[in-house]
Amino acid sequence: MSANSCVTSVRLDSIKQADKPQVHLLPCEIEHDGPAEVSAFFTPTMKERKHEVSVSFRGRGMKGHELNCPQGYTGLVLKEVQKPASDQEDRIVKVSSVFHNFTYWNLETPPTSDDGVVRAMEWPMLAEAIHGPVDK
Amino acid sequence: MSTKKKRSAHTKSDSWVVIAPDSMLHTGSSEDSDPAFTKLRNPATEGSSLYLFGRGDDSVYEVKAFTEEFRSWFIKQTVQRDGKLLIVTPIDPLFLLLPYIKSAATEGKFQPLKQMVMDEVYPGCTRLLQCKQGLDFIHHVADEKEVGSLKFHRYNQEKTMDWLKKKVQRTVTTLKKSNVSVGGGVKSSTFVRVKQEADAREEDYLRYAHGLISEYISEDLSKDLLKHLQLPEISSPKETEPPSKKRKLSDKPVEAGEDYTKFNSSDFARKPPKKMTAAQKTLAKVDKTGMKSMASFFKPFTNTFE
Repeated sequence: MSANSCVTSVRLDSIKQADKPQVHLLPCEIEHDGPAEVSAFFTPTMKERKHEVSVSFRGRGMKGHELNCPQGYTGLVLKEVQKPASDQEDRIVKVSSVFHNFTYWNLETPPTSDDGVVRAMEWPMLAEAIHGPVDK
Repeated sequence: MSTKKKRSAHTKSDSWVVIAPDSMLHTGSSEDSDPAFTKLRNPATEGSSLYLFGRGDDSVYEVKAFTEEFRSWFIKQTVQRDGKLLIVTPIDPLFLLLPYIKSAATEGKFQPLKQMVMDEVYPGCTRLLQCKQGLDFIHHVADEKEVGSLKFHRYNQEKTMDWLKKKVQRTVTTLKKSNVSVGGGVKSSTFVRVKQEADAREEDYLRYAHGLISEYISEDLSKDLLKHLQLPEISSPKETEPPSKKRKLSDKPVEAGEDYTKFNSSDFARKPPKKMTAAQKTLAKVDKTGMKSMASFFKPFTNTFE
């Protein structure tokens, strides 16, 4: 059996237990996967002025902007329930978190509507035009 | 490598950040199967891409990845090193069914869909036949014959072209309402967007929309569609680049062991035409970057869950 026949199913009923965390997209790669004291050291230094949020992270100033998920869309964090023993097995993920907005951060440069992640949020609107049904 | 400090190797992530349509999250009847990520044949590249079937297989979605270098997530009190964002959006199942229906047409006879839509490499393709927007709209790309309670189909190129043209027109309408820049505003490969130019011409919109639709059809169909839209083929100024560089520019998924260059839709526009006017040359420049800039943000996925 080829690996292409494997599926990864999303356990939808897990959405009821999902938490609603604060989500930040950072302008750097952190070589770590796991717990971090975000609320102790990151969130308290966030300052909001006019439409811009700024924060100091490891001595670097970052500028952020809160982005909403596109209309009709929801943010999810999917987590694997159990690691498969091989790539020939079906896999299962659960919805561990749900979010409707997140803050993305730039290093130095103020956020603008040209930022990649902002443009990415335009994709669903275009996809609807490309993929919606054509009348008879 | 451009990085000064050596980064430690990525370990396999077991968590993904996804933006998904609410329609996918409706829990519906408890007997329906859960949504499932499945690999299917990409209709443009013929390689493998990741898709998602909705609950009970009544709809199918495309999975695109937004990635930038040096990005990580904070999710509540955790760090997620992989800063990728997956975006799940509906895909018209006809795009995915079309290659099967079209390749069955060589025999020129009417056949049951079940007989056409089979794939040893991608067995998941049969689930496409459950999708509402697939079966109910098959007449857009095929002739239909009913014998008793059985339905038979045969690929129809003219109908397909009309259907694709309507798709292009729909997309043009949306582009005009949006602030996506299709014309001269898109100049650099790093993409600096200039506000929508008032003089973006109808042809710019048509070409841009054609480029977007071409991400979902074969190279042949893409060329046919260009003719059907009465747009002349244009060559790209990147013609002189070595093949290795061309490949890097491609945002198509790459399948090892397959001659993907043959199916790479971004190559089709590169054949030199006999003659080009100065205006055409300018347009070629503008156009190519315009299409590329949108597409390069979103890579159709081959191996998301790794």
